[in-house]
Amino acid sequence: MTIDNLSKVFLDLDKKPKGKVAAIDDSGRSVTYGDICDFAQEFAKQLPQRSLIFILSENCIGSLLGYTAALSNRIVPLIISASTEESLYNHLYELYQPEYLWMPQVKAKGKVVVFSAWDYCLVKTGNQHIPMYDELSLLLPTSGSTGSPKLVRHSYRNIEANADNVRRLFKLDGSEKAMAILPMHYTMGLSVIASHLLAGSTLLLSGRSLLDKGFWATLKEATSFTGVPYSYEILTKMRFTRMDLPNLKVITQGGGKLTEAMWNTLAQYAHDRGKQFVATYGQSECTARMAYLPPELALQKVCSIGIAEPGGQLSIVDDNGNETFEGETQGEMVYRGENVTLGYATCREDLIKGDENHGMMHTGDLARRDADGCYFIIGRLKRFLKIYGLRIGLDEVERMIKTEYKTDCYCKGDDEKLIVLVIDSRLQEVLPNFIEEKTHLFHQRIEVQVVKEILRNEAGKVINQ
Amino acid sequence: MTNLEKLNNIFCEVFSVEVSALGAGFDNKSVEGWDSVRQLSLTSSVEDEFDIMLDPEDILEFTSYDNAKKILGKYEIEL
Repeated sequence: MTIDNLSKVFLDLDKKPKGKVAAIDDSGRSVTYGDICDFAQEFAKQLPQRSLIFILSENCIGSLLGYTAALSNRIVPLIISASTEESLYNHLYELYQPEYLWMPQVKAKGKVVVFSAWDYCLVKTGNQHIPMYDELSLLLPTSGSTGSPKLVRHSYRNIEANADNVRRLFKLDGSEKAMAILPMHYTMGLSVIASHLLAGSTLLLSGRSLLDKGFWATLKEATSFTGVPYSYEILTKMRFTRMDLPNLKVITQGGGKLTEAMWNTLAQYAHDRGKQFVATYGQSECTARMAYLPPELALQKVCSIGIAEPGGQLSIVDDNGNETFEGETQGEMVYRGENVTLGYATCREDLIKGDENHGMMHTGDLARRDADGCYFIIGRLKRFLKIYGLRIGLDEVERMIKTEYKTDCYCKGDDEKLIVLVIDSRLQEVLPNFIEEKTHLFHQRIEVQVVKEILRNEAGKVINQ
Repeated sequence: MTNLEKLNNIFCEVFSVEVSALGAGFDNKSVEGWDSVRQLSLTSSVEDEFDIMLDPEDILEFTSYDNAKKILGKYEIEL
């Protein structure tokens, strides 16, 4: 850590107007930038030394204050959903043994509460202190739902760089009121929060369903909406393109690919109503966002992720291993930028590890680049699906099934559906509900196929796909 | 199959429950996992099954088994 950083407050929160509202949540309560800074100091009194904390997040002010206070005081949080399934939570807890928890008060019965505020409380667990890499700022699960113990390690610079890149990309300033409905434990949800706090904007923080009347009342106030493809399925189902939303300037999307039909609907809507539609691309390994399509190209470059965001650089490595930065080609997409995270952690001892990526990420996505320099995602090298914007790790689902049922299985699918191949026909009935219980993936998006055998080649690779 | 049976089947399939679970208290407050994904799955299935197109307001109101029955009444689906 440099001398400069030592004196610098997280996201320059101390440099915003003290009385400016930073966030409003579903309860109707709000906090100012001054409140956020004061709370960070209060938090530091309770938790004076650098330590590992789990934040059990909900999209509310209590949860937000835990995040900003932790990052302001060099406390390292792992942010996970407050509704994480119990056995998955226990697994993470055993593996990482946090010294503190910041959690909803209603869930803290029987725990040692040190301090509470905004319906959240600080719990001391009695776990031992663990040394952590000096630049380590934040941990997030790689998978929003399968509860994989594999975490992404972020540096302080990663968070600041992402926030600044997104701020520049959207030219954010204090006049924004951003609809922040994506979960805080989800990399893009956190990116919406950090970028708007850096810009001194107001967050409309909501944990509501998009089919809740309260959401629609709040949306009327918002200047921007950030969603995943499924969010836009709901929005169009609700015929939002016919609604009068005069304050809404920007609709933006990440977390997977839109269908061409949906893309055209949104691009045309934005064009007709004088709004901006901005498709983006990102990964949790790169602190959320990496690329975006400039809104003026939305009608021409259908389903393109566009170009690298400000501060980043994209390239393609073709089948021959040649890396190029311009011209038509296809191959694995590579990203460089200050938002490339440090690497993964799979156990407590990994928290001492330093930077393993050195600012460069092989995305695992296959991309095509056109003559104008715009990128299009055409496939995936890594084994995961993105359904409802959430990453479903196929290896993890297989492992859960094998552990529970002691049987062979194989997972595949696309971003619409998870397909599980099994030999035991009795599993056809129970697996969708089992997977739903573990991962929260809606069971109607899970298909179980019974096969005679799961054929593997010598390398162990499944061949009856 | 009667219209009521059709509606019950949709609920049972979406929430993985038996018909006996359906009734006055079956709503988005008491049923675990009732989120936008499930609500939209309910309304889309109802639209397909009864060949109707729900108004956005009715999709928002589709928050309980009882409301579902009331809303179908508005579209002249007799249960």
